[in-house]
Amino acid sequence: MWWSPSILTRLMWLNGLALCAVALLMPLALYSLLGSAADDLHHRALKETASEIAHYLSPGSDGGLLFDLPDEMRELYSHSYGRYAYAILDRSGRVLFTSEANNAAISPGDKLQPTPAYFQLPWDSRILFGGSFPEQVQDQRVWIQVAEDLNHRDVVIDDIVADFFQRVGWITLPFMAVLLVVNAAIFLYALKPVLNLSKIARTIRPTQLDFRLPTDRLPREIAPLVTAMNNALNRLEQGFNNQREFVADVAHELRTPLAILRTRVDGLSDGELANQLRRDVSRVSRIVDQLLVIAELEAFTVSPNETADLQRICSEVVTSLAPLAIAKGKSIALTGETTPVRIRGDSDALFQAISNLVSNAIRHTPEGTTVEVGIDPRAIVKVVDRGPGIPKSERENIFRRFWRRDRRSEESTGLGLTIVARIVEAHAATISVGDADGGGAVFSIKFPSLGDFAADSVKGRDPPKRPTPALS
Amino acid sequence: MSALQATLLLIEDNRELSGLLVQTLTASGYVVDTATTASQAAEALGKRRYSAAVLDLGLPDRDGLSLLRDMRKQSDPTPVLVLTARGGVQDRIKGLRGGADDYLAKPFETEELIARLEALLRRQGNLVERVVRCGRVAFDSESRQVTFGGRSMVLPPRESTLLEILMRHIGRVVPKRQVEDQLFGVVQPVGSNAVEVYVHRLRKLLADAGAGLEIHTVRGVGYLLGETK
Repeated sequence: MWWSPSILTRLMWLNGLALCAVALLMPLALYSLLGSAADDLHHRALKETASEIAHYLSPGSDGGLLFDLPDEMRELYSHSYGRYAYAILDRSGRVLFTSEANNAAISPGDKLQPTPAYFQLPWDSRILFGGSFPEQVQDQRVWIQVAEDLNHRDVVIDDIVADFFQRVGWITLPFMAVLLVVNAAIFLYALKPVLNLSKIARTIRPTQLDFRLPTDRLPREIAPLVTAMNNALNRLEQGFNNQREFVADVAHELRTPLAILRTRVDGLSDGELANQLRRDVSRVSRIVDQLLVIAELEAFTVSPNETADLQRICSEVVTSLAPLAIAKGKSIALTGETTPVRIRGDSDALFQAISNLVSNAIRHTPEGTTVEVGIDPRAIVKVVDRGPGIPKSERENIFRRFWRRDRRSEESTGLGLTIVARIVEAHAATISVGDADGGGAVFSIKFPSLGDFAADSVKGRDPPKRPTPALS
Repeated sequence: MSALQATLLLIEDNRELSGLLVQTLTASGYVVDTATTASQAAEALGKRRYSAAVLDLGLPDRDGLSLLRDMRKQSDPTPVLVLTARGGVQDRIKGLRGGADDYLAKPFETEELIARLEALLRRQGNLVERVVRCGRVAFDSESRQVTFGGRSMVLPPRESTLLEILMRHIGRVVPKRQVEDQLFGVVQPVGSNAVEVYVHRLRKLLADAGAGLEIHTVRGVGYLLGETK
C-alpha cells in the first residue's frame, strides 16, 4: 500500500496513481485540443472562402451589387458536387445570390451580427457546418454565408477527432504501462545502494564490533546517515576495547598479588588459620577469575563459520572433571550419542559452559552417585545430578549474577551459571532447568542445528535476547 | 624421584613472587635459576639445558609468548609451563598453540604448580623411565614385572599392558579407544566389552594383591586409575 513503510512500495504506488491519472487526462486533453484545432481550421477555411466570394462582388450601376463567379468556382459550389454552399444576404436579410435552389439562404434564421457567427444545420440528411461573415462592398454591407458538408469524403479532419479514442487515444495506456515498468526499474536502480546497505546492516549482530558499513559510491542523501552510524560503531568498538584493556589490566593487577598471597599462605604450616586463609584466597581468586571471564564474554561472539562438535566437547569435559568427581567419591558418565554432533559454536566457550554445569553437578550430587552428561543428536546437552534439585521458585534466579541458594556456601561464587547463560546466549541456544527422574536437577542446553542457523542468518532480524530459562 | 635433580628456569618479572616460588620449588627439591626478563631468559636457556621452564607471559621487555615461539623455532625441547595473569580462554589457546606444554593461571596453588611440573617432567621422561611407581605398585616396563609391595609377579600380556597404560596416566582418564588400540592393535576389530573383560580381571588382581590401586570406569569415556582411599 502507498502508506507502507517501504519507500519502494510507496514510490510504486504513487507513481502508479500518477500514471493512471495521466493516462486518463492526457487523451481527454488531446481530444479537446484536437477538437478546437479542427474547429479553428474550419473557421479559417470558411472565412477565407467568404472573403474569396466577396472578391467577386462588385457595385452595380443601379446601386445594387453584381456577382461574377467564374465557372470553375461555380462548379465547386454546385449541388451536384455537394460539398460547399454559399448565400449572400443584404442588411435586411434578403437573399441576393445563392448556390441553392429557390433563392434560399443557407441559414435562414441568421441574426446577421457584426461579427462572424457559426452554425451547424441538417442538410439533406447530412450535417452542414457553416459561418456567416459580414463583408463591406463599397458602401454596402452584406453577409456572406458559406457552409461545408462535414460528411463529405474529403473532410478528414473531423474523422480524426471523432475516432481519436479508438485510433489514437489508447496509445497512452501501453505507454503508461511501459513507463510504469521503466519507473519501477529506475526506482530499484536508484534505491539499490540503500537496499544493499540494509542487507548488509541486517547481518550485523549486536556484539560484532569490527563491522562497518561500506561508504564507497553511496548516494549523497544517505551517506551522512551511514557515516554517522559507522562513527557510532567506532565509538562503540573503542569503548569495548577500552573495557577489554581495563579488564586485562585489572586481571593482571589483581592476579599477581593474589598469586603472591597464595604462595605465601601455601608456605604456612597447616593449621586452622592457614586452612581458613587458603579457602579465602581460593574464593577471592575464583570470583576474580569468573568476573574476568564474564567481562571477556561481554564482547564474545561466535563467528558465523565456526563449528564445534558437542560430542567431543562433552567427552573432554568429562575427561577433565572425572578426577575431581572420583576424588570426591562420586562418579561421572558420558551417555547418548557417540558420533560427532556438529553445531555452530566456539569450542572453548562451550567447554567452559559445560564444565561449569558439570562442576556444579559434581558439587551437588551426593557421594556414591553419578553425574550424567548426555548428548542428544538433535544438538541437546543434558547434565543430570542426583542432588536435591532446584525448586521451581528459584529456577528463574539461578542465572543471575552472584545469586546463590545458600548464601553461606563458600564453594560457589554465584557466577558460574551467569557465565553459562552468557555463552548459551551467544550461541542462540536455550537453557532449561528441570527435575531428573528419581530426583536431582537436569540442565539442558538446546542448540540451533546447523541448518537452523543458516536460515536464521538470512532472516536475522532480532538480536538474541537474554536467555530466560524455559521452565519445565 | 628423578625430580630431585631437576633444574628449573623460572622466568617471572615480579621479584616478590619469584622469590617465594624459588623458596617453594627449592623446598620441593628443584634447583631453580631465575630470569626477570625475556632476554635474560633467552641467555640462560642458551647456556644450559633445563629440565623445564616456568614462564610468565607478562614480561617487561617482550611478550612471553614470543619468547616461547622463538624457543620452539630454535627446536629448544625444554618443556614449558606457562604462568599467566591473563587467564582468558583465548590466552590459553594462544599459549598452548605457541608451544607451551602446560598452562597455569595466576593465582595458583603451590601444590598444583608442583604437581603439574612433576607431570611435565614425568611425561618428558616417559620413554626412558623403566619403572613406573604408583602407591605400593611398581611396574618394570622392560621385564614386564609387577611388584606389589615387594612381591613380584608376571601378569598376562594384556593385563600387564593395561596396567602400564593406566599407571602412566594415574589420576587421569585414559580414553577407552586408546586402551583398545594398545591392547588389540588398531586393525583388529574388537567387541564393545572386550576391554571391560581385561579391566575386570585387572581389578580383581589389584584387589587380591591389596595393591591400594583402584580402576574407576568413567562410562562413555574411559578408565581412571586412582589410589584407594
